[in-house]
Amino acid sequence: MASLQGYVDHRVLLILQDGRAIVGVMAGFDQKSNVVLSDSKERVYSMDEGVEEIPLGLYLVKGDQIVLIGELDDAVDQSVDLSTVRAEPLPPIRY
Amino acid sequence: MLPLSLLNAAQNKPMLVELKNGETFNGHLINCDNFMNITLREVYQTSAEGDRFWKLKECYIRGSTIKYLRVPDTLLDAVKEEQNRAREAGRSARGAHVSGAGARGRGMPTRGGRGMVRGAPARGGRGRGRGA
Repeated sequence: MASLQGYVDHRVLLILQDGRAIVGVMAGFDQKSNVVLSDSKERVYSMDEGVEEIPLGLYLVKGDQIVLIGELDDAVDQSVDLSTVRAEPLPPIRY
Repeated sequence: MLPLSLLNAAQNKPMLVELKNGETFNGHLINCDNFMNITLREVYQTSAEGDRFWKLKECYIRGSTIKYLRVPDTLLDAVKEEQNRAREAGRSARGAHVSGAGARGRGMPTRGGRGMVRGAPARGGRGRGRGA
């Protein structure tokens, strides 16, 4: 069975259907992949300036909005200077 | 920790709810259910573009329309503590009547019965074996 249990208490990246990228510590999840993220921040990508991190705090994201959950390698993530990163923001999902 | 236990613990607390259409609702949680249907009081509704606002005394939001909820940071510790307390209470209640010999039941059988040696190949244990 696929499970999110291995991600609990780890720093993860969440991509939502509206194209948002949120990083946070996975505090919990349930059968429907609803996810609790603590200490979460949204990463806003743009081509004109570096990545902006917006603090969001404690978040409960509904499973049906989630496109992807990935574990973050803390060491690698912290070695990246986000202010130097330029990238197109992800577009929202299209049907 | 289950998302729904966090939500239940958020009753009477302020929260921000964003719907799939981008509208947001700021208010205090009155009640919620397992579908994540919620009722809020003293609500500030904001349009998806963020240019229009409404004040609502109370509103009901169907769980399936929600994208995410933002709740106070302090709730996480509150819920974790509550769970620890519940676990401790459960343990001492269960442990109370398990005493002396004859305390059998759950758990790995120590000896005898139909329990199998750990790591042994899985055979038998059920039914009457190979059959004719």
